[in-house]
Amino acid sequence: MRSCVWISAALTLLGAGPAAKIQSMLAKPKVLCGRFDQTKQLVGLKKPVKSTGRFCVVAEKGVLWRSERPFANTIKLTRDEIIQLQGERVTMRLDAKKEPTVRVINSVLFSLLAGDLDQLEKLFDIDGEVNHQSWRVTLKARAPALARAIGAITLDGAEYVKNIDIDEASGDRTRIVFSAIQTGDGAMTVDEAALF
Amino acid sequence: MSRRGLPVFLWALVVCSLLAHNVYLWIGERIHPDTDILALLPAERHDSALEQASVKMIDAGQQKLIALIGAPDWAEARRAADVYREILARHGDLFQLADQTGERMESDFLALFDRHREVLLTIADEAALHNQAAQFWIDKALAKLSSPFSGPNLGPWQDDPFGLFSSWVQARAQETPVRPRDERLFVSDARRDYVVIPINLRASAFSISGQQLALPILDRARQAAQNAVAQADVLEAGVVLHAASAGAQAQRELSIIGGGSLIGIVLLMGLAFHSLKPIALILLSIAVGCLGALSVSSLLFEKIHLITLVFGASLIGVAQDYGIYFLCQRFSANSETDSWKLLRRILPALILALVTTVIGYMGLALTPFPGLRQMAVFSVTGLIFGWLTVALWFPALARERASKALPLAERCAVGLMGWPHIRRNCATYLALVALAIFAAIGWSRLGAQDDIRSLHNPPKKLLNDQVKISELLDLPMPAQFFLLRSATPEILLEREETLTTRLESLVERKLITGYHALSNWVPSAQRQASRRLLLEKVLLSDDGALPALAKQIGEDRHWVAAMRARLLAPAAPLTVDQFRKAPASEPWRHLWLGKSADGYASVITLSGVSKAALGALSQAGDGLPGVQWVDKVGEISSVLGKYRYAMSWVLLLSYLAVYGLLYPRYGFAGWRALAPTALASILTLAVLGIMGQALELFHILALMLLLGIGVDYGIFFQEQGPVDDHAAWLSVALSASSTLLSFGLLALSKNPALRAFGLTMALGIITVCLIVPFFRKQ
Repeated sequence: MRSCVWISAALTLLGAGPAAKIQSMLAKPKVLCGRFDQTKQLVGLKKPVKSTGRFCVVAEKGVLWRSERPFANTIKLTRDEIIQLQGERVTMRLDAKKEPTVRVINSVLFSLLAGDLDQLEKLFDIDGEVNHQSWRVTLKARAPALARAIGAITLDGAEYVKNIDIDEASGDRTRIVFSAIQTGDGAMTVDEAALF
Repeated sequence: MSRRGLPVFLWALVVCSLLAHNVYLWIGERIHPDTDILALLPAERHDSALEQASVKMIDAGQQKLIALIGAPDWAEARRAADVYREILARHGDLFQLADQTGERMESDFLALFDRHREVLLTIADEAALHNQAAQFWIDKALAKLSSPFSGPNLGPWQDDPFGLFSSWVQARAQETPVRPRDERLFVSDARRDYVVIPINLRASAFSISGQQLALPILDRARQAAQNAVAQADVLEAGVVLHAASAGAQAQRELSIIGGGSLIGIVLLMGLAFHSLKPIALILLSIAVGCLGALSVSSLLFEKIHLITLVFGASLIGVAQDYGIYFLCQRFSANSETDSWKLLRRILPALILALVTTVIGYMGLALTPFPGLRQMAVFSVTGLIFGWLTVALWFPALARERASKALPLAERCAVGLMGWPHIRRNCATYLALVALAIFAAIGWSRLGAQDDIRSLHNPPKKLLNDQVKISELLDLPMPAQFFLLRSATPEILLEREETLTTRLESLVERKLITGYHALSNWVPSAQRQASRRLLLEKVLLSDDGALPALAKQIGEDRHWVAAMRARLLAPAAPLTVDQFRKAPASEPWRHLWLGKSADGYASVITLSGVSKAALGALSQAGDGLPGVQWVDKVGEISSVLGKYRYAMSWVLLLSYLAVYGLLYPRYGFAGWRALAPTALASILTLAVLGIMGQALELFHILALMLLLGIGVDYGIFFQEQGPVDDHAAWLSVALSASSTLLSFGLLALSKNPALRAFGLTMALGIITVCLIVPFFRKQ
């Protein structure tokens, strides 16, 4: 809490903090799609677990996360639910009516992928550096429960978010690298659009 | 002392001791009437476990208050809630607020379960372990590996590769929609975010002094929250709010009915007798009656309920009947007649009148509702003490005939002369036919209603808040649950598991949204053992999912062995006692009733019970030993219905009994005393039907009392020679007016039972009063 006060005081002195600067650098399109390469380094596993696939972030709708290899698996997050699909089959459904944290989780993930630091600042202490071309921030959840669930998150990017690193308290680590970013109406494939 | 002085003296002794006892009660003991709204409900005396269950269920909520402070925006809701909380926190002696850290709780919360994670499975996962092939679990583990966010993360992947424990934790968390958020408790609906503030009341919810201290502070806190955030929505629920509103309402009604009746009687008596002495005498008999009623009731019952006093206030309108009758006789007898001789002459009628009224009140005592029994005892003792005052004191206190004539009595007599007698003539037959048609129309419209709402009907705002809070928090029904019993805790848990398997199918059919059982948290030892075997066979054995998974992610058999050891670490079974000591059990401890004389008992509660579910729920325990479905709401309705039916027969039998009582004195002509009341009862029901009222137990009980009081008027008329009819008419008119006033005021009560009672009595008394002169002796 104290560091948060200190940071916001410092930000006020500087006139504009990293969050505001980064906001001005981000493109913030309505639809943002691309490829991801994810590497998980899990405690107890010798080799890192890699997966690749496509993702889409659609403003006011939510997030679509489709692993293609080594394993086909789709996760869709909207305001009111989280659905996991394997092929056509729903393997998990979390409803905000039953699980109110769904809205919080979804808003965090949406903001992470979209780089919406204004939203993230409500839940995280943000510390970061901005160069003229790129930026990098570290997020620490203010609420201990959230910190336990998510761990420490590092984001970097320029016009879009490029990398996300998640360090969980348990020692499991996830690194996600984004590439082939497309924006605008043509960004989503037909079957991706059908999933929303 | 003269022979006549002795009873006067003895009664003076009794009255003095009553006075002393009452002074002791109100000033020495500082008794205060009870405001428990459940006092009117039937008690379970015959079944100790059931009673204990009900009491625990009720006590679990009794001292609790819950406030939800909402706003369209979470930050605003928090701001309003902080203002609200801050005001309550200033009164730590009245309100106990939970610490605002939910965080430490959460890590402690999982510690116990973490040690027993291998036996904690959801019912769905357990079924899948039985039904699904190994590939299903491999896919599940891989999906968990590849997704960056798959529900709540409870630790490293290797502790829960198949996501079994995390889905169990999630299922347990979903037993309530309340979540910690920013160090507060949070729920939301589509329109608002709410901060949930649980409050423990330190003073008893039923103590009037506690209510008077707590309620203004709650009001202030609500106002402050709404001032701080204009859009704030403040919802509150708690037994204390109901008790306080019922208490305040009862006190208001007590003073209206009591005060109104007293003023009415004083005015009536003044109008009739033009003298202060009769007023003083009547008030004296009422006062002794009330003192007697309070003394005897406080000796017989642990607590006197406020509702008893409200009903008891109508006693004022009944207890004066005997005094008025005596005084009317005194004033119309000639001055040479000695008061004692006069008493001897009217004593048989006075005794009959008392006995019939007591029979009328007995109807209340025959029901299984403790509150109604208390009303009956209170009223009957009040009547007896009032009656004894008339019989023992009035002859000594009202010796001589008043000098003035009674103008009202003369006018009554004149009025009465024009009143026809019933004879076997055309007019009588026509009138009877007209009445029969009227009665038939009225009765045909009369439905029946046996609903708990006829016992207690809280104010709308309280009810709305309660409904909203129950929806938001998905609260279990407090009055509908399963009670389970057995000789040992293990068998009890096994019985719970058999029942919850059946309840699971009701959840699937969307008849209920969920159930709360201790076995959700602590599986029976039997099931814990079978789950370990199941895990071993399906996931960890050589042809199970784990070795196949290892192949896919490139791990060797050492890894498989290490995982096996990790996932199936030997552990003693999780026990109920361990769970009950853990912080996570706090909201669920009341489900376990523990050991009693005849074994162990527990409760399974339900949430989101739809109307259509009640039938299925009542049959869900069929064939399971030691399982009982308890539906207090349904039970109360069925008790009300059963007694409405039974009391209707008792009413008819009472008419026969009263006729039997009248027979020795009046012979066959006794029907003339009884017929007006019978007719009035028929017509009253017809009027109720035309008013669109549904028939309830309380209408029938009122008709019992109407019999008791109405017959008195018949008796007074039968006692007269045709010459001094006007005394009878005057006493009936005076008695009826004051009785009417008392019950008419009772009909204004907000308590539905008292209102039904008062309305029936008021209608009945008017009708009896108009009919009685037709049946006077010719």
